[in-house]
Amino acid sequence: MSNEIKLVFTGSAGAGKTSAIAAISEIPVINTDVRATDLTTLQHKSKTTVAMDYGELTLDDGQKLRLYGTPGQQRFDYMWRILIKGALGLIILVDNSGTDPIGDLARYLDNFRGFINETSAVIGVTRMDISAEPNLQCYYDYLGERSIQLPVFPVDARSRESIVMLIQALIAMLEYGN
Amino acid sequence: MLSSAQIAQLELQLNKLFDQCQVVTAAVVATIDGHFCAQKQRANTYSLERLATMGSTLMSLGDTITAELKMGGCDNVISENREGIVVFMHVGRDLVLVTLTTQKNALGMLLSHTRRCVEELTKTL
Ligand SMILES: Nc1nc2c(ncn2[C@@H]2O[C@H](COP(=O)(O)OP(=O)(O)OP(=O)(O)O)[C@@H](O)[C@H]2O)c(=O)[nH]1
Ligand SMILES: [Mg+2]
Repeated sequence: MSNEIKLVFTGSAGAGKTSAIAAISEIPVINTDVRATDLTTLQHKSKTTVAMDYGELTLDDGQKLRLYGTPGQQRFDYMWRILIKGALGLIILVDNSGTDPIGDLARYLDNFRGFINETSAVIGVTRMDISAEPNLQCYYDYLGERSIQLPVFPVDARSRESIVMLIQALIAMLEYGN
Repeated sequence: MLSSAQIAQLELQLNKLFDQCQVVTAAVVATIDGHFCAQKQRANTYSLERLATMGSTLMSLGDTITAELKMGGCDNVISENREGIVVFMHVGRDLVLVTLTTQKNALGMLLSHTRRCVEELTKTL
C-alpha cells in the first residue's frame, strides 16, 4: 500500500465530519465552518462547513493518512466531487438523531455509488446516545435490501478512539480487498 | 435569513451597480453559508443559484488562506479567466457578493464598482 492515503469523511449535515477530523488530527485542522443562517437544518449547532475540512493522522505502523471532510448540505455537492478525487476510502457518517437517518444514508450511497463500487467505504452512525432508533439492524436490513455489503459502526464523532477504530476498519478493508 | 425588505434593498443596489458599471455581466448575493439571496444579469445566461453557493465556498477558502498566512481578513478573491473575470467580496459579516464580467481587461472597473456596491450594501442593510 502507498505510504500516504487519502480518506474522505462525508455524510449528513451535523453528523460529525468536522468533529471527527478535529478529534483525530495531529496537525491543526483546516476548517471552513461559517455561521449557519438557517437554524432549522442544524438544530444542535451554529456552524456549518462550506468548503472542506482537512487533517492528518499517522497510524502506529507509520502509515500517513490525509483526512478530508466534505460539507454535508446538498447544495455543496460540487465540493463532494472535488474532494473525492484521488481518495482511497470513504467514511459515511449518519446522524442517528436526524429526521430520516436511513434516507440520509441512501442519499450518500447514491451520490458516491461509483466510488464505493470501485474502492471501499464504512458507515459510522453518530449521536446514538441521543436517539437509539433506528438501531444498527435497521441499517443492515436496508443495506441488505440494496445488496450492499458495508460495515456499520456506532460511533461518537467527538471520541478519538471511536473514529480511529472506524478508520482502522476501513484500512483493513482496503488492504485485504473487502 | 433576510427579510423581504432586506432582499428588496439588495435588488435595489444591484440595479444601481448595473446602471453605473457597463462591464458587469452578472451579480449575485449569497449568505456566507451559501444560500441564494438576490441576483441580476444582463441576459439570462447563467444559473446563479449555484454560483451563490460556490461564492460562499470560495470566500471561506479565501478567509482560511489569509488566516493561515496571518494577513488579516480576506476582502476579496479575484478569478481571472480566459473569457472573463469573477470577483468575490464579503458584505459585512453575513453576506457574499459575486460579480462577473466577460470583458478580460475590465478588472479595475469591475473591482471598483463592486467595492462601491459593497459599501452601499453595508450602509443600508
Ligand atoms: N451527543 C453526541 N453528540 C455528538 C456525537 N457525535 C458528534 N456529536 C456532536 O454533533 C455535532 C456535529 O457537528 P459537526 O462536527 O460540525 O458536524 P458536520 O458533519 O461537520 O456538519 P456540516 O459541516 O454542517 O455538514 C457537534 O456538536 C458534536 O459535538 C455523538 O455521538 N453524540
Ligand atoms: Mg462540517
